[in-house]
Amino acid sequence: MTRVALYLAIGLVLTILECSLFSFLPTEFFKPDLGIPFVIYTAFFLNPFAALATSTIVGLMQEVLSCTPAGSMLFTKVSIFIIALFMKNKLYIDSRYSFSLACSGAVLVESFLFLTISLVIQGESRDIGNVMFYAVPNAIVTGFLSLLVFSLIESLNVKYFDRH
Amino acid sequence: MKNSAVIIIAIAILAISFFVFTSTPLFIRGYTVAKTGLGEISGPLLRIAGKPADGIRYVFQNYFNLVGTKKENTDLRKKLDAYLLEYQRLSELEQENKRLKAILGLMEQRPKTMVAAHVVGEDVKNWFRCLIIDKGRSSGLAPKMPVITPKGLVGQVVECDRWVTKVMVINDTNSSVDVYVEGRNSRGILEGTGQNPLKLKYIRKNDEIEVGDKLITSGKDGIYPKGLATGIVTTINRNKPGIFAEVEVVPFNNFTRLEEVLIIKK
Repeated sequence: MTRVALYLAIGLVLTILECSLFSFLPTEFFKPDLGIPFVIYTAFFLNPFAALATSTIVGLMQEVLSCTPAGSMLFTKVSIFIIALFMKNKLYIDSRYSFSLACSGAVLVESFLFLTISLVIQGESRDIGNVMFYAVPNAIVTGFLSLLVFSLIESLNVKYFDRH
Repeated sequence: MKNSAVIIIAIAILAISFFVFTSTPLFIRGYTVAKTGLGEISGPLLRIAGKPADGIRYVFQNYFNLVGTKKENTDLRKKLDAYLLEYQRLSELEQENKRLKAILGLMEQRPKTMVAAHVVGEDVKNWFRCLIIDKGRSSGLAPKMPVITPKGLVGQVVECDRWVTKVMVINDTNSSVDVYVEGRNSRGILEGTGQNPLKLKYIRKNDEIEVGDKLITSGKDGIYPKGLATGIVTTINRNKPGIFAEVEVVPFNNFTRLEEVLIIKK
């Protein structure tokens, strides 16, 4: 429980820092989704209730910190959690590289899900170009950063949670 | 068993978010409460995290250029760096002073209708163009209030929490502003593209408009008051099919470098 709370807190703090402290960085072209690595990690390595709580809170927090339509980020994050849960027995994450790949894939899936619900539910097509344009750069940069996130979590595991 | 319970709860959350997305009133109310709760926690954190951002921005923009200089004459260099930093800090202060004076000038014109705010963050996704400012409902802000700087229009308030407010910038894909071409008899809709040049739509090919023309708000969209500077026309393409010309506009403000803004209370 402490472990989940700690990872969730790290994820939320990183998201807030991305929004405020690092807003001066020229990251318009590629913006990492710092919530995704935590959703994927908890879904693959921790218990499913913890992963669901993480994806819900991260989704809500990203909505608070962005102009995305209400419900959209919660929808995409929980969808990614469900997909990750089903992929748990099919996809073997044994290193930070495979974890990074899974995170990049999740960002692409998230963009696709967002576009789908925007089109199907609201008939919105104005955002399509933008979301498609940024999907790949966002996925790449999230993949790179998730390498660091994975290393951070693993080192915390070894130090404080008896995982060797 | 445990997994299936989680999946059922997850599907329930998915269904709720789906109904919220479709703006079903029953779900929107509960959802807003949850979101506001989270906003109450994140708002003060954002304001605190936004404070060192100015300092880091200052170091990033001014000092990092000096790091690569040679190590020779270290003491002398250090002194020189200190003087340079002091000088840059002073010129930064001078710039800030100028900006604040301009803001004060604007506020003095309409003292009771304007609120000054600091930009403390930006949209966590790059799909939308949104700024987060450090004033909220407690300062009397509400959605649809126009946001400006002395240079020109920034956007409009879209969501207000107690501590912070989200501002949709005019280059967001969902933004549309009714504008006039200053000094000419042409009117169009300035639409955001998500990128820097905005599109001025519904300008006929034979309308009076030239590169370098300034655009001002018409006041007819019910959100922005008349006469706010929005941008300058950079390209006009009349060689395309249809009755309308393709016009590109660069806004007066650089939205990624904004530090202070003014909100016009209605």
